[in-house]
Amino acid sequence: MKATIISILISVLLIGGAIWLINGQGTDGEGEASNTSIVGGKQIIEIKAKGGYSPRVTYAKSGMPTLLKMKTQGTFDCSSSLVIPSLNYRTNLQPSGETEIEIPSQKAGIVMKGLCSMGMYNFQIRFD
Amino acid sequence: MQKTRVFHVNGMHCSACVILIESELKEIAEVGHVKASLSHLSVEVSGDFGDKSAEHIARDLSEILKPHGYSLTPERQKYLPRWHEFKIALPVAGVFIVIFLALQKIGILDFVQASEVNYSTAFVIGLVASISTCMAVVGGLVLSISANFAKEGDRVKPQILFHVGRLISFFILGGAIGLAGSVFQFGSLGVFILSLIVGLVMLILGLNLLDVFPRIKKFQPVMPSFIAKRTHGLKNLNHTLTPFLIGAATFFLPCGFTQSMQIYTLTTGSFLTGALNMFIFALGTFPALALLSFSSFSIHNKSKSGVFFKTVGLIVIFFGVFNLLNSLVAIALIPPIFNF
Repeated sequence: MKATIISILISVLLIGGAIWLINGQGTDGEGEASNTSIVGGKQIIEIKAKGGYSPRVTYAKSGMPTLLKMKTQGTFDCSSSLVIPSLNYRTNLQPSGETEIEIPSQKAGIVMKGLCSMGMYNFQIRFD
Repeated sequence: MQKTRVFHVNGMHCSACVILIESELKEIAEVGHVKASLSHLSVEVSGDFGDKSAEHIARDLSEILKPHGYSLTPERQKYLPRWHEFKIALPVAGVFIVIFLALQKIGILDFVQASEVNYSTAFVIGLVASISTCMAVVGGLVLSISANFAKEGDRVKPQILFHVGRLISFFILGGAIGLAGSVFQFGSLGVFILSLIVGLVMLILGLNLLDVFPRIKKFQPVMPSFIAKRTHGLKNLNHTLTPFLIGAATFFLPCGFTQSMQIYTLTTGSFLTGALNMFIFALGTFPALALLSFSSFSIHNKSKSGVFFKTVGLIVIFFGVFNLLNSLVAIALIPPIFNF
């Protein structure tokens, strides 16, 4: 009986740890918003792609044409295989460099999602 | 005196087994007619066995089938799920899964600093790929297949053939991509369907390894009997060609690293460079995958093997669910679950 209790305890602890690992510390880069700039009436968003996307959440202005710059540096993982479902966009980013994606003017309140093609990495652009 | 008896067969799992059992038992002088049934897991034997008891005959016939991993009993053996084995299997699987998730969280990908691909970086990328989220796809498949073969008593050959098939296909297909300058890639829907199939296969194989639901064995992916019937060395074929082909097919599995390497390879414009590039990448993934596929060597004690298979089963089920959820996320059907 003792073994069963210990086993259950360890399992609960591990499951808790796993959930913490999955969801914890998901705030890196959030709110910094330094990755957006406006140049000549055009909004420019920079997102790094390597082992996931950073920043995870970007706050952008609605109602203006936007250029999304995806930056890669030795990126060979899934994040190089980018999908933006709402734009019907799908590409393979080059291992190192910059890929520019034109985003038409978005309405306020829209949350645009980008994913890697296998689904384990993602980022959001919130327009408001 | 001719007499017909029905025996229960332990270890029968495929339609090739039926043919193998029948052909082996027909060799025995006393046996006249043999009919094996996969759905009933039984074999009907007619023959003149004198006044031997059913137990005695079962023992004699088992002796002949033993090298193939089957045994006969007069009665259906009572099914024992052995739930207590989960006491060890569950925490061990949990530790493995937490290590896997932690590896993704600490950013193993930062080990890849190179911006140019050459043979040595291809190797490093392979090393990293094999412990990254790709492990959920390729590693999960390796683990589930090798454990299933090991469960049937075949620990070495199918595993080696899997890796040989994988390395050869990466060399040849890598060369083909380099030469052709174009790469075969699945679209969103293709990736989704592929991930769905891989996830489901893993779920089934994982459940099978748990050994809790005996009925599920019927869904195991095996060679269709019409192919098996036409070839000799029935069980051999299933244990030779199948792992080899699965190994070769891993070239097309959805894995970000494999895809980037394929895309790089198409820029090489040469068969040899492309072939070596993909081959060395596959070589980089070999240590981690080999560790998984030969993990069954750790079973020293037969009574502990149940714990091992349940542990592997739980890990494989986790990988299966992980892949299924990710594939649903990728087509934006459900919101992202994992935030690495």
